Amino acid sequence: LLLSTAAEPWPENAALYQQLKEDQILLSDNASSLAVQAFLQMCNLPIQVVCRANAEYMSPSGKLPFIHVGNQVVSELGPIVQFVKAKGHSLSDGLDEVQKAEMKAYMELVNNMLLTAELYLQWCDDVTVEEITHPRYGSPYPWPLNRILSYQKQWEVRRKMKAIGWAGKTLDQVLEDVDQCCQALSQRLGTQPYFFNKQPTELDALVFGHLFTILTTQLITDELSEKVKNYSNLTAFCRRIEQQYFEGHDKDSPAPVTSRSAKRSLLR
Amino acid sequence: MAATMELSCWGGDWGLPSLHPESLTVMAYAKFSGAPLKVNTISNSWRAPKGDIPVLISEDIVISQPAKILNFLRKQKYNADYGLSAKQGADTLAYIALLEEKLLPALLHTFWVEAENYCSVTKPWFASSIAFPLSLYLPGKMSREALNRILLTRGGPPPYSLSEVEAQIYRDAKECLNLLSKSLGTSQFFFGHTPSTLDAFVFGFLAPIYKVCFPRLQLQEHLKQLPNLCRFCDDILSCYFRLTVSGHSPGLDIADANMQKLTQLVNKESNLIEKMDDNLRKSPQHPSRKLRTLKLAAGGEESSPLNRLSP
Repeated sequence: LLLSTAAEPWPENAALYQQLKEDQILLSDNASSLAVQAFLQMCNLPIQVVCRANAEYMSPSGKLPFIHVGNQVVSELGPIVQFVKAKGHSLSDGLDEVQKAEMKAYMELVNNMLLTAELYLQWCDDVTVEEITHPRYGSPYPWPLNRILSYQKQWEVRRKMKAIGWAGKTLDQVLEDVDQCCQALSQRLGTQPYFFNKQPTELDALVFGHLFTILTTQLITDELSEKVKNYSNLTAFCRRIEQQYFEGHDKDSPAPVTSRSAKRSLLR
Repeated sequence: MAATMELSCWGGDWGLPSLHPESLTVMAYAKFSGAPLKVNTISNSWRAPKGDIPVLISEDIVISQPAKILNFLRKQKYNADYGLSAKQGADTLAYIALLEEKLLPALLHTFWVEAENYCSVTKPWFASSIAFPLSLYLPGKMSREALNRILLTRGGPPPYSLSEVEAQIYRDAKECLNLLSKSLGTSQFFFGHTPSTLDAFVFGFLAPIYKVCFPRLQLQEHLKQLPNLCRFCDDILSCYFRLTVSGHSPGLDIADANMQKLTQLVNKESNLIEKMDDNLRKSPQHPSRKLRTLKLAAGGEESSPLNRLSP
């Protein structure tokens, strides 16, 4: 099956599905979607972003984003990277074995710490849940469906947090973890333009997706984005990728981090 | 530093100071950093374990979870990461995340979810370490928590197939072992000649897979194909724990190797027989019955040396 799809070239009408951008999408899903978009841009593969209220239910694994290419549907960055590789495009072929191991380890660090912290903030911090998450998550649906869906999702996420031991953490501890993660990323990046020097890889796409979203999303407080701003090489990294891969494209450019006085709010 | 620090954790077997990955990590780190820990293994006569194990008690402070315990030890000036560069410190965090995301699910599955392993090895061992009546309840609870964790972090939305999840987590675990092997290369420890936090974590996760004799050995077989990781575990055991090499007779290791060869031969034979049966598919019931009895015989041969070896 993989051989037959590998033979087909990348079609013009490839589409990436996510939730509604203005009203519905949450921090964590936005970050994941941006990571995939960045990755595809780096591979020079065109993709259309399609927003659907029920994108989560359309996805084969229940997680977002997912891409629809030809007659294949693939969700989440990991499988998408492999799928794209089968079609002959790869960003990490030039790495040696040890570097590939490092790359995979750092990607797990982002998933393990940053993504989990985003989920915690969205679903376990009561203020954020009441004021941002609940109104947004169910917004396309009428009452009482909107409340039911968001409570169901909250219950699911809290179960997962409990299983991995994050339920007992306070917000301060979570922010501490984010800081540790950013410190590690900052130290690894150093003064290089990308994590593996001259060429971006899927790790750069993933880190960009999460950090850029954290920096440009307005939440209840600025504590989360402040943690990232502490590391100037990380903010410069985000700016660099944004300028290189997103500016000049009309479709769906993320707002620049600097210049404009009013931060474009992805939430609220 | 003058205060005594006590660590409560699960005990060991099969040449390991502990069977529990997190307990092992903390014990290894304490040895690496020279921290004087008084180790109390949970036994029948001790008070019932509650909350997370391992637990460090120093004066009035009670700390659980390996990461926090290690942080505490570092603050007490027992720091094994002293010579690491900033990048190596960052790498440590990344590799620990890799272990937790990719290796831990399969480790939990091998110990607590795989039915044969759980019933014949894990449950009896843990039950014998805890006082009655907790021994009836606690292993079951740990098993349910392990399955829960695996499903919540790796399972897809229902309806999912448990066997697909299992296949995926073992694939990920094998890939993780390969990545660790490549990273370690030919050095003695991950960052040069002295062991650090990362070595403690890797040792904590790998040693149980390496040493514990389970009926279902998928992960162990894969690990044994990566000689530098095996050497890594053996080095730490012999240098820092002085248990396996001197504590057990070399005869035991030879017996281990013989049993492994026997298992491999038996597996090869049963594979050949399966192939023959597929070819001669005339009466479906006969071949499968023959196969079952042969497998039972193979199982019988395997399990009796195992029973003799386990203390």
